[in-house]
Amino acid sequence: MTGRLLVACCLVCLATGSPHSFPDDPLTLVTPQDRRPLPTVRFDGRRLVAVSELATPFGLTIADVRQPGRLTLMREDRIIVLTANEGLVSVAGQLVALASPPLERDGNWYVPIDFIGRALALVRDEPLELRPRSGLVLLGAVRVPQVVARYQRAGRRSRLRLMITPQTEHVIEQSANRLLITLDADALDLVLRDMRPDALVADIRAVDGRPALAIELRDGFGSFSATTEPALGGAVELIIDLQPRPVSTTRAAPSPTPPPGSRGGAGARPLAGPGTGPAALIPGETVGDAMLPLMAELAPPRRIRAIAIDAGHGGDDVGTRGPDGALEKDVTLAVAQRLRNRIESELGLRVVLTRTGDSAVSLDERAAIANNDRADLFISLHTNASVREAVIGAEVFYLSLAEYGEEAREAGFTGQLVPTVGGGSRVLDIVPWEMAQLRHVDHSARWAQTVADELSRRVPMSPRGLQQAPFRVLVGANMPAVVVEMGFISNPDQEAQLTSATFQSAIVSGLLQGIIRYRDEVEHETQPLDAGSPDGSGRIP
Amino acid sequence: MKRDYWIYGGMGVMALVGIWVLFVGLPRWYPSEGVPTPTNEAAGRTTDDELVAATLFYISDDGMRLVGFERRLVQHADPAVQGRIILEAQLAEPPASLLSPIPPGTELRAFYLSDQDAFVDLSAEVTLGHSGGSLEELFTVYAIVNAVTTNIPAINAVQILVDGKEVDTLVGHVDLQHPLELNMQWVADPDTDATQSNPVDQTDQL
Repeated sequence: MTGRLLVACCLVCLATGSPHSFPDDPLTLVTPQDRRPLPTVRFDGRRLVAVSELATPFGLTIADVRQPGRLTLMREDRIIVLTANEGLVSVAGQLVALASPPLERDGNWYVPIDFIGRALALVRDEPLELRPRSGLVLLGAVRVPQVVARYQRAGRRSRLRLMITPQTEHVIEQSANRLLITLDADALDLVLRDMRPDALVADIRAVDGRPALAIELRDGFGSFSATTEPALGGAVELIIDLQPRPVSTTRAAPSPTPPPGSRGGAGARPLAGPGTGPAALIPGETVGDAMLPLMAELAPPRRIRAIAIDAGHGGDDVGTRGPDGALEKDVTLAVAQRLRNRIESELGLRVVLTRTGDSAVSLDERAAIANNDRADLFISLHTNASVREAVIGAEVFYLSLAEYGEEAREAGFTGQLVPTVGGGSRVLDIVPWEMAQLRHVDHSARWAQTVADELSRRVPMSPRGLQQAPFRVLVGANMPAVVVEMGFISNPDQEAQLTSATFQSAIVSGLLQGIIRYRDEVEHETQPLDAGSPDGSGRIP
Repeated sequence: MKRDYWIYGGMGVMALVGIWVLFVGLPRWYPSEGVPTPTNEAAGRTTDDELVAATLFYISDDGMRLVGFERRLVQHADPAVQGRIILEAQLAEPPASLLSPIPPGTELRAFYLSDQDAFVDLSAEVTLGHSGGSLEELFTVYAIVNAVTTNIPAINAVQILVDGKEVDTLVGHVDLQHPLELNMQWVADPDTDATQSNPVDQTDQL
């Protein structure tokens, strides 16, 4: 009997053929005066907002023109015409495509939420923007930086990375069980990724009604340090390292308490208090195992011993070609050999060339050669080309992450228990090929910046001298890696330069100095800071 | 004898009618339902209701960026058909003063959807006719990816195939082993970039 009833219900539902709408999380309308919710509904998988909810806050008048299947909205002299089940709406004479058609149900009209940014913005004089990921609707002159937060776990330590766009002043305050990061803004457009509670952090969340982010701490939390670094596109990255309470040391570390209310911005110095992080380790002390994983997983290489140099293209793949016939594959090999000679003779480092002659090597094989030969840095040399002959200048690239999805990132770094010689076992990180560069990309960015700086002192740079791109040769490199485009061979003057010994030597000098500077910086960081600080406290003045 | 003439004459007339029906009448009565091609409004064959504004991407005057350029294309309710129309316009001759980021002779072999990802199958000219530079390769790839994802919000990402096969790259740089999402890093910002002279609000019609 029950079965028949269910079947009957299903048949009725199918016969009516109209799925129901369900209330969804509201959007938040942010204006210079206030914040208010904008209710939304989910209908057949689509997130919609009722036109009646938009009328008051956006000053719309619903015209009293009764046409079946059509709705006319007015804002002063500008008119919006909606047609039921038609994905294009007419807005002040323009056709605008929506993610899904407007919907009329029981006399009420609903539009997809992108209607706000695509259509309403055209009839308002002040700025109007929809931030779909955070559910914010920004109306008027409001300051709402986008904050993309990523939470990473390494051994017993954790790192919170906040990419703040545009750069915005911030204050970090610590109370008993909470770190509060407050931005100088009207609201936060917060995107939180990878957050899972752990031994240090119970939760990370936006603070209601305030442009602030709260990190709820657990008892295992010991101290934190914060640094900021300028990022591309006018953004700034705030990096907060969270350390556990020391577990076993032969001498108790002083209580780590960073200065409350520390103010930061782009270029701010690290906020490391005494006893925080690896910078505070004192030579001779034995340190608990808790300190080790971070060094293995987050810290840069302690020593730069080997450099992989990849001469781009080769064999049948000639690369770009200059107007006088110079070939990219020849220029890159010549510069690679010059660079190898300088590194070996002046720095005494081991050099790995991915090709030593005019041979074809696949992109993944180039990275594999560097990985197998345990190179500590990877540099791929190229010359560029443009259909516009006037374009000149060198460019340095490191891998962009945007093209590699969250699921793929999470799939990386899985530990596998493997047996060892002599008995026992150890955990081995299995890193998918496509994820190899991801763990190094911060250091790649830093090295790329150093190389771009040094090159800019010696050769002409493109207006976009430092960039990120999804270059295949970088993906599998398991070390900091960059691509250097030395110039545009399509420009006759640059073609002559790129084939000249003088210009090639200038490029090599820039690359060599970039390696020296980067090596010195990372090796200095892995040494105890107290050895170099005036008061031995480990503080950076 | 006279009767034979009438029979042969009648058969000839019927043959002519049959030929007319086969080659003229049927195509008129049952027009092809193939992919619509971009229509020139100026020729008076379409109305405004059948056209939609689409942003296509070309190389800027300074050669350092892509610029968005608005064109009016035939609209179609099916995203797969609309994507094909947009890409055929992107692969066509660029507007005057702009350069195409797509090597000449490149043809669209196929365009299909799988969930929210689109697959764009291009002919081999996209690699054979390429300058080989990484910047040009970025322009080629993101002109295609952005043309599809900007204009068809239902499509989240685009994977480029060449001659029906997955490829590592077009000419040795940009990773094409997976679908790529919209990326405006290579596109001039009309609000802040004073150097680009072909902003998106210029319109043209195909």
